[in-house]
Amino acid sequence: MMLAGKTALVTGGRGGIGRAICERFAREGARVFAADLTPAGSLAEGQPPDDFIQLDVTSEDSVRAVYDHVAATADSSLDILVNAAGIEIEKTIEETSLEEWNRIFAVNVTGTFLVSKYALPLLRRSQAGGGASVINFGSYDGFIADPGLAAYCATKGAVHALTRAMACDHGPEGIRVNAICPGYVDTPMLQSFFEGDGSGGDGCTIDSLQQAVRDVHPMRTFGKPEDMANLVNWLASDEARYAAGQLWVLDGGLSAQVQQMKL
Amino acid sequence: MAMLENNTALVTGGRQGIGRGIADRFAAEGARVTITGRGARPDDLPAHFAWASSDVSDPRAVAELAAGIEGLDILVNNAGIQVEKTITETSDVDWDELMGANAKGVFLMCRALIPRMSHGGSIINIGSISGQTADPGLALYNASKAFVHGLTRSIAVDHGPAVRCNAICPGWIMTGMVDAAFAVADNPEAAKTDALARHPAGRLGQPSDIAAMAAWLASDQSSFTTGQLFTVDGGLTASSPLNPGLFR
Repeated sequence: MMLAGKTALVTGGRGGIGRAICERFAREGARVFAADLTPAGSLAEGQPPDDFIQLDVTSEDSVRAVYDHVAATADSSLDILVNAAGIEIEKTIEETSLEEWNRIFAVNVTGTFLVSKYALPLLRRSQAGGGASVINFGSYDGFIADPGLAAYCATKGAVHALTRAMACDHGPEGIRVNAICPGYVDTPMLQSFFEGDGSGGDGCTIDSLQQAVRDVHPMRTFGKPEDMANLVNWLASDEARYAAGQLWVLDGGLSAQVQQMKL
Repeated sequence: MAMLENNTALVTGGRQGIGRGIADRFAAEGARVTITGRGARPDDLPAHFAWASSDVSDPRAVAELAAGIEGLDILVNNAGIQVEKTITETSDVDWDELMGANAKGVFLMCRALIPRMSHGGSIINIGSISGQTADPGLALYNASKAFVHGLTRSIAVDHGPAVRCNAICPGWIMTGMVDAAFAVADNPEAAKTDALARHPAGRLGQPSDIAAMAAWLASDQSSFTTGQLFTVDGGLTASSPLNPGLFR
């Protein structure tokens, strides 16, 4: 077990990727706090092996309350923080209202900021041999754009820069900060992307669209939440003691290639 | 006012395509331009260009060419070839030809000409978007362009301030290479429509688009610019290889 004796907090812990991370952490021997807006999150089934905490990452009071709870039950120490809470808005900037813009920045960027900020006192008390580990969620969309996802792309670019900045500032304190940058991962968010794109019209089914998209990937498949959890687990473990300040793209090779013309 | 008045420039592989586009622009900006290429001077090459028959992959030919040059202001390493193969299909001969022109050629030209350039001279290498992300079935080409990108930075670091060195990474530029690709498509018209939709600029590139960047990099406007890669691709690589809208 790679995470025996460690304590972890995962935001978005009931979402597609966050939930897989919580399950993996628990299997690896960690004590896991899954924080999300509701116990069901975006997935309703089952009851994962973790402690659920209600959290609104955009609320400073809510974030503080979560750490009060973690501190009281985990000896005021935290080894692993995963900022997996995130939302997506499928619009161009012209279609995006200021309210929507502020909302997605509040969750994806401010949330990562707040949850990390108040984690620091606990992370500094970590006894982990490989240092405490913070894992943010960027996206390959923070490097190159998908159409109609402007605000989302911008929030993920912000998370990338924040990741490097946090790594610089807190590395000397024994806190490693990295970001995972997923490509197309089979989650409720991805389903919403395909449906919201309206691509089901024009005589093309969502299934055939998805297959076409899979085929553009060198690996010919979407990622699974478990694929993200595999790397998050490694970054959280002492194996990754020298890994800091990096953006880890996990996209089945998608962004390694130039756009594929239909020749 | 012309940007390159009183400058001398050497453009390798300037018989056609991007190299010729750069040579034309440099001449229009007042530079005296020598074009190199394998074989004889093309019949239709305008008289204001000097021509040097030279193979960039041949050390002796490069040394001979360099011996006749003093105080060169601008060197454009454009000569390059493309082999459309994966590595398991690639022969030793393919390797020697492609790496000879695209990688060794840039090395040989820079080694021979850096000592013969004027102070503050500008070297412009032609890299590629394919040196940053892969085009399928172009393994050695992709790798050779990544070599060019790396060498560009090294030259800038090792030989500044005597020379500046930058690379341009073109995307799809309408040259003979691209025309041929469309011609063999199952449906050339559909292929072209698809290609256009992937370019935020709404068109494919022209050699003059690359020449515009080259002129700037050759001019005093870029005197603080060195060691960098400049992508000119109509926005192609700013967007994901996926664009679900194109699958409808």
